[in-house]
Amino acid sequence: MSDPKAFDRILTEIIRQDKGIKKVILVDRTGLTIANVSKLSYYPVDVDSIGAIASAVFAASEEQGNNLQIGTLEIVTSEFSEGKIFASACGKGVLCVVSEAEVNIGLIRLVMKKQGAQLAEELDKFLAVEASAPAKDRELDEEDLKSALAELERV
Amino acid sequence: MRKDDKGRIHLKLVFYGPSLGGKTTALRWLYGKVEGLQKGEFTAIEDETNRTLFFDYVPMSAGGRVLFDVFTVAGQKRHRHQRKVVLQGTDGILFVADSAPDQRDENMESFEELKLFLGDSLGREVPIVVMLNKRDLPNRMSRDEMLDLLGLGGNVPIYETIAVQGVGVKRAFQAIAREVILKRMYK
Repeated sequence: MSDPKAFDRILTEIIRQDKGIKKVILVDRTGLTIANVSKLSYYPVDVDSIGAIASAVFAASEEQGNNLQIGTLEIVTSEFSEGKIFASACGKGVLCVVSEAEVNIGLIRLVMKKQGAQLAEELDKFLAVEASAPAKDRELDEEDLKSALAELERV
Repeated sequence: MRKDDKGRIHLKLVFYGPSLGGKTTALRWLYGKVEGLQKGEFTAIEDETNRTLFFDYVPMSAGGRVLFDVFTVAGQKRHRHQRKVVLQGTDGILFVADSAPDQRDENMESFEELKLFLGDSLGREVPIVVMLNKRDLPNRMSRDEMLDLLGLGGNVPIYETIAVQGVGVKRAFQAIAREVILKRMYK
């Protein structure tokens, strides 16, 4: 059974590991941001956009590795003058960590690996629940879709 | 069906087609001119001349708990692998064909590539709507010629568009969004 708060709990554990970590985002392989947490409650970034880019960059790097036949991608690290972005695989998703420039890279890699395995498990449960949603949820989804259809005609 | 942790339904739409065919122009027109859609930030990964390098992305909603994550792809041939990445998990395709006669081969190659990437799911699990763009060109290919070129029969919705003016763009977008929703409701 998927616990809706499980993602937030794991992402929060990650963000607490190093004071330099500013944001942690979980995205799927299609660019959808599933969950995110920030160190500061007000951190003015467009999370959907960051998630879409993180997922695409990770998938593009994987594709590059496949083309070059250099094995499985473990982590993508992007270093900027004032910060770093790490992205690693976690099952059907991608875990993205945004940090300040001065952070313990070894620790972050370790945490991402460890918590990534846990996130992968939760993600599997989350996606399995979606696939076999109870009738009530399916009805709600259908209502949402019908309402979107009606709104669309009014655009 | 893709959902976020707030339970909102996300549907991924991708503008696909040959280079300089009008994919980004069409998305920018939707973003800037269509008031009934709620839109997030416009994200573009492009070069200095505004040619798309990877993708453009805008989240859109007609209201409620259904969101459309709308992407374009980079059309230039060398960006083939990026296109494959952007197509992952797509729920619907807006194919933007270029009506210029000198783009005949580019249209065909792009459509063949799309069929290769999506396989049998194209037109079945993944609905497609075709925009015949640049219909204001004086020497444009005829509609029938373009449909023959792409090997399209009568069961794919076709819209004649002029993306720079927005002609037909909203209707094409509504059509693919509608197709995708109906596919989710009745599959």
